[in-house]
Amino acid sequence: MTKHKTKLIAAACAGAMLLAGCGKKDETLKLFSWSEYVPQAVIDKFTEETGIKVSVENYSSNEEMLAKLLAGGGAYDLIQPSEYAVQAMIKEDLLQELDQAKIPNLKNLAPEFRNMPFDPNNKFSVPWLAGFVGVVYNAEVVPGPVVGYKDVFTDEHAGRIVILDDARETVSWGLATAGIPINNVTDENLATITPLLKDWLGKVKVFDSDSPKTAMSNGDTDIGIVWSGEGALLFAENPKFQWVMPVEGVHMFVDNLAIPKTSQNKDKAEAFINFILRPEISKMISDEFPYYNPNLAARALLSPEQLNNPASYPPGFDVTSAQLFTDLGEQASKVDELITTLKAQ
Amino acid sequence: MAVTAAAAALAAGPSPQRRAGLGPWFAVTPMLGWLALFVIVPTLMLLVISFCERDGLGRIVYSFTFENYTRAFDWKWLKILGISVWYAFLTTAICLVLGYPVAYFIGRSSERVRGLLIMLVMIPFWTSFLIRTYAWISILSQDGLLNALLMTLKITSAPIGFMYTPFAVILGLVYNFLPFMILPIYTSVEKLDGSLIEAAYDLGARPARVFSKVVLPLTQPGMAAGILLVFVPAIAMFAITNLMGGGANPTIGEVIQNQFTKARNQPFGAALGVLLLAIFILSLWLSSKFRRSEQE
Repeated sequence: MTKHKTKLIAAACAGAMLLAGCGKKDETLKLFSWSEYVPQAVIDKFTEETGIKVSVENYSSNEEMLAKLLAGGGAYDLIQPSEYAVQAMIKEDLLQELDQAKIPNLKNLAPEFRNMPFDPNNKFSVPWLAGFVGVVYNAEVVPGPVVGYKDVFTDEHAGRIVILDDARETVSWGLATAGIPINNVTDENLATITPLLKDWLGKVKVFDSDSPKTAMSNGDTDIGIVWSGEGALLFAENPKFQWVMPVEGVHMFVDNLAIPKTSQNKDKAEAFINFILRPEISKMISDEFPYYNPNLAARALLSPEQLNNPASYPPGFDVTSAQLFTDLGEQASKVDELITTLKAQ
Repeated sequence: MAVTAAAAALAAGPSPQRRAGLGPWFAVTPMLGWLALFVIVPTLMLLVISFCERDGLGRIVYSFTFENYTRAFDWKWLKILGISVWYAFLTTAICLVLGYPVAYFIGRSSERVRGLLIMLVMIPFWTSFLIRTYAWISILSQDGLLNALLMTLKITSAPIGFMYTPFAVILGLVYNFLPFMILPIYTSVEKLDGSLIEAAYDLGARPARVFSKVVLPLTQPGMAAGILLVFVPAIAMFAITNLMGGGANPTIGEVIQNQFTKARNQPFGAALGVLLLAIFILSLWLSSKFRRSEQE
């Protein structure tokens, strides 16, 4: 009889909790991240340690993330914006300020990543991984020397080139080559570099942002401009794939974790940020995605092979000399139009 | 389909007028609700957004403008639309030429074999089209299976660049859409009355004439359905064209997709979407008109 009663009470409680769950805050941590960027093992380990369940949704561009966040679809607790998106979101008051006392592992980050111009003193965001955009070439086919963008778009390489399918990136290479700061995306500057870009794009065989390494490793292209993580994977596969930091100027991107204003789970989100800053956890991320890890304590755990990969950790390169993107705003549409029409010519 | 329905109605003869009760309305309510929620509402949203503006972050600003349409009618976008329509046309034509004989063969074979053959057409579609497209990439790439075969057999001495060409795009499209051509034609062929063909032969017609005067007209509804099922989605397809073509020749589907993501211009994307929708409605109207005139 008593047993029966407790069961009934338990059922009633469960029902009440379910009902309450409809209106009140959810107990799972909702992570909205780039596709192929957060290892499942890291998420599993976090749940195992803290008991906090994590649900993951993916996006493939900052703009897609912004669109979904602003549409108010899912109440995300943690997002992964790149530097220019962080800048725009701070300006629009879309991010919550972090309680740094809850994220003591911030101390593991390299000093140059503690005070980035888009978010001084990590008030709103914490770097996840950083990376560069550079030139990769097949040294068995391309004799070299290759030092920058201009060596990619030569007549000899026409029809054998892969580049990122990213209008903003493409425009920034043109600007850098013309000696214009890469964030000065004005109408006049776009007009200045249009003939150059027209010549370049006519020689490109493949435009691919998701997996540009495929066209290289399949032998369909000999040279290209890709993300450093892709270059690192190619180099690890075969050292014939050489990596070059362009002399015209290096663009660095920094992807971060941040908490949107709409999140009801700030504590859990901060716990997750602190968790991934632990050296052994951050190493797990580097093992799977060989970009530049801003976590110094994690880098101490990496193998010599990982650290000697020239695309992941370019020897002798000072990351503070790299250029970051700033938010383009409405000009994004013009940049896209220019590149799309040049491709369709 | 319309032809057979009309024929059935004629065969049944005049029926006494009867007022339908509420019952049938209840039965169709879920379907009407579905249509309203997933067809009418999204289309209206698209239409509304296409007349709006947007801010720096890509948020829609609800103020009325024609700008998206004036921009959409620029030569550069119409050119991309033209290329997409051309790809879709080629895909449809090749699917028709390849699919008709297959559908005819399956439809005229014995009933036991028929089920098996239709299964064989369908089985690849149990796998995601993206995975099947990636499979094509590993077949067609320079260090891929096809080039390895050709060079081992000494047919070619150097690898051929199949991938990232219009050829690869059309191949990917045809491969993915072929069953949508085969199935409706097969349905028409299956219903074909064999005695009509025999009668044509008895009256002295040669095979070519039997085909053009009897078989072709009777299977036309299937062909029309197949052409629509291939042509319409082929215009808007962006994933296959992007993967197989290397993104070098953007199609209208890719351009629209970009507006909703990187270009941060949903209203312009919506305007292009409305134009595409207008083309679909036009081709539906043309094909129904075409079918009606055949009936007369």
